[in-house]
Amino acid sequence: MALRIPLLVALALASTAAAVGAAEVDSFATTVGPLLAKRCAGCHNGVEKNGGLDLTRRETMLTGGDSGAALVPQQADVSLLWQRIVADDMPPKNPLPKAERAVIEAWIARGAPWQGGALDPLAHTSEQRAGYDWWSLQTLQPIVPPKSSPRARNPIDAFIEQKLTAAKLAPSPEADRRTLIRRAYFSLIGLPPTADDVAAFVVDSDPQAYDKIVDRLLASSGYGERWARHWLDVVRFGESQGFERDRLRTNSWRYRDWVIEALNRDMPYDEFVRLQLAGDVLRPNDADALIATGFLTAGPWDEVGQKQQSAAMKAVVRQDEIEDLVGTVGQTFLGLTVNCARCHDHKFDPIRQTEYYQLAAALAGVHHGEPQLPAAAVAKKAAALREPIAARLRALESRLAEIESPHRSKILAERKEKGKKSAVPQPIAAWDFQNGARDSIGDLHLDLKDGSYVRIGMLHLADGYAVSPPMSKRLGAKTLEVWVQPLDLNQRDGGLFGVQSLNGSKFDAIVYAEQSPRRWSAGSNGGRRTQDFQGPEETTRSDFVHLAFTYDEDGKIAAYRNGRPYGKPYQSSGLTFFDEGNGQVIIGARQLPSAPERRLRCAVDRARLYDRALTPDEIALSAGLDVDIVSEAELAARIPAAELTERSSLTFERTQLREALERVADAKVYAVAPQSPAKTFVLHRGNPGDPRELVAAAGTVSLKGVAADFGLKTDAPDADRRRRLAEWITEPRNPLFARVIVNRLWHYHFGVGLVDTPNDFGFNGGRPSHPELLDWLAGELIRSGWSLKHIQRLIVTSAVFRQSSQPRADAAQQDAGNRLLWRKSPQRLEAETLRDTLLQLAGALDPRPFGPGFYDFSTYVRNSQFYDMRDVEGPTFDRRTIYRTWVRSARSSMLDVFDCPDPSTKTPQRAVTTTPLQALSLLNNSFVFRTADRFAARVEQEVGDDRQRQVAQVFRHTLGRTPDEAESAACEPFVEQHGLAALCRVIFNGNELLFVD
Amino acid sequence: MSSSSYSTIGTRRDWLHWTSCGLGGSALLSLLLRDGIVRADPVPGEANDAPPHHPARAKRVIHVVACGGVSQVDTFDYKPELVKYHGKSLSSDEKPDVFFGKVGLLRQNDWEFKQRGASGLWVSELFPHLATQADELTVIRSMHAETSNHTPATFQENTGFRLNGFPVMGAWTSYGLGAETDELPAYVVIPDPRGLPAGGSINWTNGFLSAKHQGVMVRSQGTPIDDIYPARPLPVATERASAELLTLLNERHRREHGDEIFAARMHSYELAAKMQRVVPEVTDLSRETAAVQQSYGIDGSATDDFGRACLMTRRMLEAGVRFVQLFSGGAFGSPRINWDGHENMVQNHGQEAARIDKPLAGLLADLRRRGLLDDTLVLFTSEFGRTPFTQSEANVVGNGRDHNQYGFSVWMAGAGLKHGLAYGATDEIGMRAVEDRVHWHDFHATVLHLLGINHERLTYYHNGIRRRLTDVSGHVLKGLLA
Repeated sequence: MALRIPLLVALALASTAAAVGAAEVDSFATTVGPLLAKRCAGCHNGVEKNGGLDLTRRETMLTGGDSGAALVPQQADVSLLWQRIVADDMPPKNPLPKAERAVIEAWIARGAPWQGGALDPLAHTSEQRAGYDWWSLQTLQPIVPPKSSPRARNPIDAFIEQKLTAAKLAPSPEADRRTLIRRAYFSLIGLPPTADDVAAFVVDSDPQAYDKIVDRLLASSGYGERWARHWLDVVRFGESQGFERDRLRTNSWRYRDWVIEALNRDMPYDEFVRLQLAGDVLRPNDADALIATGFLTAGPWDEVGQKQQSAAMKAVVRQDEIEDLVGTVGQTFLGLTVNCARCHDHKFDPIRQTEYYQLAAALAGVHHGEPQLPAAAVAKKAAALREPIAARLRALESRLAEIESPHRSKILAERKEKGKKSAVPQPIAAWDFQNGARDSIGDLHLDLKDGSYVRIGMLHLADGYAVSPPMSKRLGAKTLEVWVQPLDLNQRDGGLFGVQSLNGSKFDAIVYAEQSPRRWSAGSNGGRRTQDFQGPEETTRSDFVHLAFTYDEDGKIAAYRNGRPYGKPYQSSGLTFFDEGNGQVIIGARQLPSAPERRLRCAVDRARLYDRALTPDEIALSAGLDVDIVSEAELAARIPAAELTERSSLTFERTQLREALERVADAKVYAVAPQSPAKTFVLHRGNPGDPRELVAAAGTVSLKGVAADFGLKTDAPDADRRRRLAEWITEPRNPLFARVIVNRLWHYHFGVGLVDTPNDFGFNGGRPSHPELLDWLAGELIRSGWSLKHIQRLIVTSAVFRQSSQPRADAAQQDAGNRLLWRKSPQRLEAETLRDTLLQLAGALDPRPFGPGFYDFSTYVRNSQFYDMRDVEGPTFDRRTIYRTWVRSARSSMLDVFDCPDPSTKTPQRAVTTTPLQALSLLNNSFVFRTADRFAARVEQEVGDDRQRQVAQVFRHTLGRTPDEAESAACEPFVEQHGLAALCRVIFNGNELLFVD
Repeated sequence: MSSSSYSTIGTRRDWLHWTSCGLGGSALLSLLLRDGIVRADPVPGEANDAPPHHPARAKRVIHVVACGGVSQVDTFDYKPELVKYHGKSLSSDEKPDVFFGKVGLLRQNDWEFKQRGASGLWVSELFPHLATQADELTVIRSMHAETSNHTPATFQENTGFRLNGFPVMGAWTSYGLGAETDELPAYVVIPDPRGLPAGGSINWTNGFLSAKHQGVMVRSQGTPIDDIYPARPLPVATERASAELLTLLNERHRREHGDEIFAARMHSYELAAKMQRVVPEVTDLSRETAAVQQSYGIDGSATDDFGRACLMTRRMLEAGVRFVQLFSGGAFGSPRINWDGHENMVQNHGQEAARIDKPLAGLLADLRRRGLLDDTLVLFTSEFGRTPFTQSEANVVGNGRDHNQYGFSVWMAGAGLKHGLAYGATDEIGMRAVEDRVHWHDFHATVLHLLGINHERLTYYHNGIRRRLTDVSGHVLKGLLA
C-alpha cells in the first residue's frame, strides 16, 4: 500500500507553489470542505458547539452561534467566520496559513456554495489529529515485493534493500557463524546455544544449516516460553489482585501455560485471540478455551472497591475496571488507544466517545472470577504435572530426614533413658457427652440453650449453644481441645468452643470461617488477639476434626488440626486472664449475648479444657496419633548451623511443593466469570453519575473493511457481545489486526518495530519505517493461515536479520537509530533471559515446562496480603523465569534493575536502562554467586583442574568462542589466584555476555 | 582461594578499584563531599522538554506520606462550630456517602487547637512539637479526593490516577530532573519499619517510565540498599582483581564493537563503586552529634524509628538525592499500624502522632538551621481525611471516624512558599472543601512548579498519550507561592 499523503499537506503543497488556481478552489468536496472539517469542525460541530456555533453545515453557519451569524455569502468582510480568521483569533493558537485563508475568502466571495451534507470533523487527517483517512485504518493492499538483489534471502530483504538504496546506504555483511547462532537462540528461545551447538554450527558446511537450526528452535518448547513472556508483558499479566489487598491468584498460572502451549503449537493467531476474548462462549465445556479468557482478567482488580458501601464509588471502580479492559483490548489487538475516548471524543484519533462506550458495552459482561474447570480436564493435566513435583518432594523429604533423623533418634533415646514418656495430659474440664452435658472432671456442667441437645454421645448444635457456670479458678494460659463436625462448610463466623467473661466483654474462642472462608481462627473480643493462621481450608465434612488451640503465657497462640500444627502460630497482643468467678465455658457461640449468625452449626463429639498450653507432642498424643513427636524447638537446638540453613531452605521449598500439588489439582482458574451485562450508557465527561444515551455493543467505524455494527440490541447477552467483538477484531479484513501483530514480532526480533510504538498505530504513534513491508508481512500472515511461526521464520532467515551488528560511521551519520536497518542493532538480554542464561550455564536450569509458578517470597495475610522477598535456593526455583509467580507488589530487585516491567502496566516495549544499581545487582546478588559457583564446578568437572582448559571452557560456554592470547594471559593467573568461580562472576558481568550482537 | 584479609559485609572498603579511571584519594574526596566542597556529577533527567521551564524555587523534595487518612478536624482545620454541634446529627438533607455507610453523630476535635507562632496558624495539641514550627508551614485545608477507598486514593495522592501502574511523583521528578549526584539514586523511599504500605512497591513504582526511576527502598536498619554489598564476604584482593579483569575484557569488547551502550555500561560500574562508598557514609547516623540525634527524637522511644528516617533523609538530601519519600504507617488491618482511626481516634491518632511529631519538628528546625529549607520542599500528605461525625449508629457519638474524601488538610513547608499560611477552607464542620478547593492535580502541579517544571510540559509518551503527572488538568496554586 502506498502511504496516503494527508489531504491538507497536498493542499498546502499545491497552494504554496503558486496562487490558488480556479481549478483547486472549484470543488467544495476537495478543498473548502476538508479545510473547514480539519480546522474548524473539531470544536464547532453538531455535538460540541463551542460558542453555540456549528460549522459543519451551511444552515447553521448562516444561523450562527452566540455572537450571531457566522457567514454572510459573498461578503467576507462582514462574515464573522472571516473576521475571526483574519484577526488570528481562530483557529486558536494555530492561525490559518495564507493559502488557506485565500481558499475561504474566495469561497465566501463565490456565495459559499455547499455540496453534500454535514461535514464530518473526523473525516480527514490534519496537523493536529488523524482522520478516517489515517494510514493504519485503511484496508490492507496486496503488495508485490520489489525486485531484489541476489543477496536477498526472501522478500523481506527486497523491501529493506529498496529503502537502503534510496538512502544510498549499503547493507552490512552477514554476521559470523558464532554470532548468528547465538542471535537465533536468544531471539527465538531466550537461551544461549551450548558450546557444542556453536562448535558444530561453525564448521557445518550444509547451506541449510542455519535454516535447520531455526526450524529446530521454532519447534522447541523453549520457543513458547520465550514468546509467551512477550505476550504477558503486553496484556499486563499479574498473579495477584493489586490495589490494597493484592491477594494472590493461586491458579492464574493456567493462563500462562495456555499461552505457552498455544504459541508452541503455532495456534493460528486469529484463533489465539478469539479464545482469549470469548473462549468460554465459542467452546463451552472446553477447559482450555475457558483458561484462555484469563486474558480478560489478567489485570488488577480492586477487591476493597467492590465491597465499599457507596454505590456511587462502586460505579467509579467498575468504570475504571472497564477502561483498563477496553484499553488493553484496543491496544493489544488493534494498536488503538480507545481508552482515551472515555471522557470525550479521542483527541488524536478518529474514535468517538460513543464508540468507546460501544466497546465498553461489548465487554460489559466481563467480571473477574474463578470459574470451575471440567474435572476430567484438570485431572488429565494434573497427571503430567504432579509427578515431577512429587519426585522433588520425595527427594527433599529424604534429605530432610537425613538431616533430622540422627538428632530425632538421639532426642527420643535420651527421653527414654530419662524415663520421660510423653503422657496424655490432664484437662481441668472434659465433656464426652456420654452422660448428657456433664463435665466428667470438675463441675462445669453445660446448660443447653436454644434447642441444642445431646444424642448418641454427641452435642448437636443446629442453632443453639451450651454454656457452663462460672469457673471457680482464675484461667490464664490454656488449651481448648475439641472434636467437631461442622454441618455446613460454607457457613461463616461461627463460634465453636471458648471461654468468656460473664458479661461477654472478653473471650477467647475457636471460631470458624471468620478471617477467611473454611478456615479456623482464634476469635477474641474486638479481634484483638486474632490473626489468620492461614491453615488449609476444610474441604470435606465427613469426619470429625480434632482441633486444639493453645494460649501461651507469652501471648503466643498456636492451632493444631488432627494433632498436627495448623497454619502458623503467632504472637498475639498478650494473654488474657479470666478471673475466678468471672469466666465460663461456652460451646457453639463465641460470647454472650450471642447473635444466631455467630453460632456454629455443628456436632461436637468431645471437648476438653486445660489450664496450660499443651506441647505439640501432647496434642499429637491426645489426638490419637501413634508417633513420638519431637518438637521443632528440640530439633532446632540440636542441628548444626550449616544444616539448619539448608533445612530452612528445604522446608520453605517443601511448603511450596505441597501447595503446588494442591494447586495442580485445583479445578478453578482465574478467568472470566461473566454476568448479565449492566446497561451501558455514554457517560458525560466519563462521569458515572451523568449517564446519557444507551448504547449497544459495536466497534468503531474508523476501521475500513469491517462493519462496526454488531447487529446487537442494547440488552444483548454477554455471549453474543463477546462473540461479535472477537469476530470483528479477528476479521481478516480488519486493517489493524494483522498489522499490529506482525509489527510486534518484528519489534522483538529487532528491538524496534517497523512502527516503533507497537501499542499505538494512531496519530501519536510512530509512522511505519517500511509501510509496504508491514502490509506485505500482514498479508503473508493471513495467507499462511495466521501462522506466527511462518512470519518469524521469514524474519529470522532474512538477510537483514543475519547482518553483522558492527557499527559503521558512514551509516551511523545518516541513520544513527538504524531505522533503515543497515545493520542488526545489538540487544541487551532481558531480565528473564539473563537469569535463565546464568541458570543454564550453571547446569542448573530445570527445563520442566508448565505448572504452578514458584514463589520467590514468603507471604502472609493480615487483612491485605503481604510478600516478603526471599533469596530462594533449590531446584524448585531453578526453572525458567517465566515460571516465577508475578505478584504486583512483590517485585524482584534483580529482575527490576534489568527493566522487568511493573506487571500492572501494559508494556509493549521494555526500556533498556543502564544504572549503577544494575551493576551492583549483577556483582553482588547471591544468585550470581551461586550460579558462578555451580558453573565453575561444572567446568572443573568437564575439564579437570588445568587452568588453561578451564578458562577456555568458560569462554566456550558463555561466549561460544575460545579466549584470545591477551584474554588467556589475563584470565589464567586470575583463576590461579582467585578461583574459577571468581572468573565466572566477572564473565557474567561482561558486556559480551550481556549483549546479543 | 588465597587467605588474604576478608572484609565483612557492611564495613567500608576500597571500592575504587571497580573504576577504570581510578579516582584516587578517596578519603580526602569523601571529606570534601561531606563538607559540600565538591559534589559528584549530577545525573540529568530524561525528559524531552527538559526542565527547568522556569527558575526553580526548590531543588529537592521530602514527601511524608501518612497512610490511612489523617483527621483534618483534629489536626490543622480548626472548627469551633464542631464543638457546638458535638453530639448533634448532620442536617437532615445531608446523607454523606461514606465508606462503611455508618453516619453517627458529630464529634468535636479530641485535641485542643491553639494559634501558634507569629503567624497564628491553628495547630492542635496532637502535634505539640510540630506546632513550634508553625511559622514554617503552609497548610492546605481544602483538599478533596476522588475516592474514599484507601489504595486508589493513595495511588492518586502519588500518581494523579486511581489505577495501578502510573508513575509516582518521585519517579516523575527523577525523570524530569535526574539527581544532583551520580553517587546515590535520585528517588529514595524509606518505609515505616512496622510494615510496607498497602500495595507495597506499587506505591513507588516507575509505572511506564523506565525502571531507573523507580523508588529505591532504603532501610534504616540492616543492609541499606539491596545488593549494595556482595552477598558473601570476598577478599579485597579478589574484588580488586575482578574489577581490573572486567575492565580489561569490557574494554577489548568495546574496542571491537564501539557502541555507546558498552561504554555506558562500563561507566555504570564506576558509579556503582561510588555508590558503595557513599551509601554507608550517608546512612551512618552515628556521624551526627548526640544533640542532633536528640532533636530528631532518636532516643529509643516511640519517636526513634521516624527520627532515624528523618535524619537519614536530611543526610541523603545533602548528598544529592532529589526526592525522599517517607512513610508514616504501614498497611491496613488489626492491630492498626497507620492513621486509619475507625475505632478509636484518641488511641489511634495519639499513637501515630507520637511517633512522628518530634522528628518532623526536629527535621524542619534542622533544615532551617542549615539553610536547606530555602531550596527544599517538604510535603506532608494523607490520601484523604476523616469524617467530622463518627462511624457509629445514627444516634451515637462513637469513638472512631470514617474516611472523608470531600475535605481534608495537607501541608507543605520550605522553598518558595508563603509560610504560616492556611489556604482554602472547609464548611463549618470541616466536612467538605468549599473555598479554594484543591484537587491532587493542583497539588502536583504546584509541587512541579516549585521544582521549576511546567506540569503541562513534563510528559512521557505511552500507549497513545503524552502522559502527565497531572493527567489533563491541574492548576498551580498561586496563592501559596511566596
